[in-house]
Amino acid sequence: METVIATERLNKKFGEGDLQINALREVDLTIQRGEFTAIVGPSGSGKTTLLNILCGLDLPTSGEIRVSGKPLSSMNGTELSRFRRNHIGLVFQAYNLIPVLTVLENIEYVMLLQGISPRERKDRVRDFLGRIGLEGKEKRFPSELSGGQQQRVAIARAMVSEPDLILADEPTANLDSETGSQLLDMMRRFNREQKMTFIFSTHDPMIMERATRLITLTDGKIVQDERRE
Amino acid sequence: MFWKLAWRNLWRNRTRTLLSSFVIAFGLSALVFVDGLMEGMTVNMVRNATDTFLGHAQLHRQGFRDELDVKRTIADLDQRIASLEQHPDLERWSKRVLSQGMLASSAGAEPVLVIGVDPKRERDLSKFDEGIRDGNYLESASGNDMLVGSKLAEKLELQLGDRIVLTGIDADTQEMVQELFRLGGIFHMGTREMDEAMVLAPLQTLQKMLLLEEGVHEVAFRFSNLDRDGFPQTPVMLPVDDRKNKLQLWSELMPALNMMKEWSGVSMSIISIILFFIIGLGITNTLLMGLYERMFELGVIKSLGTTPWQATRLMFYEAACLGLVSVLFGIVLSILFTWIFATAGIDYTGIEFSGVTFQEKIYPALRWERLVQYPFWTFGFTMVASIYPSWKLFRMMPVEALRKRKF
Repeated sequence: METVIATERLNKKFGEGDLQINALREVDLTIQRGEFTAIVGPSGSGKTTLLNILCGLDLPTSGEIRVSGKPLSSMNGTELSRFRRNHIGLVFQAYNLIPVLTVLENIEYVMLLQGISPRERKDRVRDFLGRIGLEGKEKRFPSELSGGQQQRVAIARAMVSEPDLILADEPTANLDSETGSQLLDMMRRFNREQKMTFIFSTHDPMIMERATRLITLTDGKIVQDERRE
Repeated sequence: MFWKLAWRNLWRNRTRTLLSSFVIAFGLSALVFVDGLMEGMTVNMVRNATDTFLGHAQLHRQGFRDELDVKRTIADLDQRIASLEQHPDLERWSKRVLSQGMLASSAGAEPVLVIGVDPKRERDLSKFDEGIRDGNYLESASGNDMLVGSKLAEKLELQLGDRIVLTGIDADTQEMVQELFRLGGIFHMGTREMDEAMVLAPLQTLQKMLLLEEGVHEVAFRFSNLDRDGFPQTPVMLPVDDRKNKLQLWSELMPALNMMKEWSGVSMSIISIILFFIIGLGITNTLLMGLYERMFELGVIKSLGTTPWQATRLMFYEAACLGLVSVLFGIVLSILFTWIFATAGIDYTGIEFSGVTFQEKIYPALRWERLVQYPFWTFGFTMVASIYPSWKLFRMMPVEALRKRKF
């Protein structure tokens, strides 16, 4: 199995002195290609902090992290941006599409940063629009879509650039259960068909049911790591 | 895509963008208008000065203007006039005798500058004939009529036809000489210096009184085909071997006016810098407000893999879009403002400034090159003003920006 992510004694502290909070404590984690992992735990357990560190948005206080073999600690701001662009797909809870760009432009944004040719961008977008069931809506702006449709676009934006890893922070939190379930099925399908690696941070039982691996965080520590293939 | 993103971002807050754009455009049009007004004012002042009395150039004996020494008449007068008449753009000229003297009436005496003129030639060169308020303009180069300025007439309590005595110094013996004149007319030129202390007398009468024979102290010239600054396009000069006489253009004859003209350029530069600074602050404020409002969204954009430099480019593009829209709007406003006032004119008639009285309305003159220069600088300042917001965006940590809202 190919290792996509490996962390070693990852610690993250916020604040100083008496107000210091240990958001992550000695987190050792290895994620293999094709895993469909859910990180669960109560609010404040460090799930979002862990995701932020895994994608290079935040830096650990100590410890090492390698994504696809690359150590993140040695990268500067520009290198981290390029790293995220080429290796990570992000899905946010509130979709976070760029409101002034159309569906098509939102989906092709990361590919544009990657320097992919316009023709290939258009082909890939068209292909993805079919797969996420949004054909004919490519010229719509995010405000003209429902929450579920926006999250589909966000997922397409994360996946269309074919990243090594997709990090999704509570992707179903703002959706009704039916829409959430459909989206999860869609992501699980991509996971099975294309061996895409997913890590979710979630409270949602629907995600936990579908996850092939369930990691439980409490007070910044991994207290349980259950594989359920 | 970045251009598209920048353009659409700019119009997300339409009111704010339009207001900012209007401020920039208004500042730009104010600059172009003030520049046009100053240009129009300067052209007006130069034309007033040269048309009223000065002419575009004057010929004197070397040193005459220093002390108005009556002995210093122009050397080789006929040859000099003949050579200057060869100038392709010479329209007309007028010979003058100038002398300081004392003018006495039954009510008192006042020091004056008496100018002897040939009325026929002078009528075409200066505007004394148009300034006659009472009485008539001089009819011939001989005779004993005299024209007096309005304020001098008041001081000496003169009525038309009154007898007045001019006392001067003759050029031959340097003795005091007197001549009796009759007041033929009172002029009002609007310039204090002329109305209080200037009198016009027939040229030949004055030559005879001052024992000048055919000599004159001054020849004033008018030219056509002038450049924008009021100078003849073809250079006007004396033969190089003429060391006795001196030919001067209006800028040397009225250095204060010339200096004012030059300083108007400096003033415009200062006004421009102040206005550009204000415009710059406005733009910085607009872009910063946009930045803070969209902090979370920009955090998302950066988290998707937009490098700091690419994010900075986005901010520069937004500034460029704002600058471009504002500049185009400003050019239209500039043309509109200047056209309105250039058509209607601004009435400063009768106001004296730098020794020149405005005789007619000022018409702002639009210089087309300014519609390139000022917009160019405005656009440049817009880009400079975007450096700080761009730097803020460059330095912005995406994770910090994403914490601005729970996602």
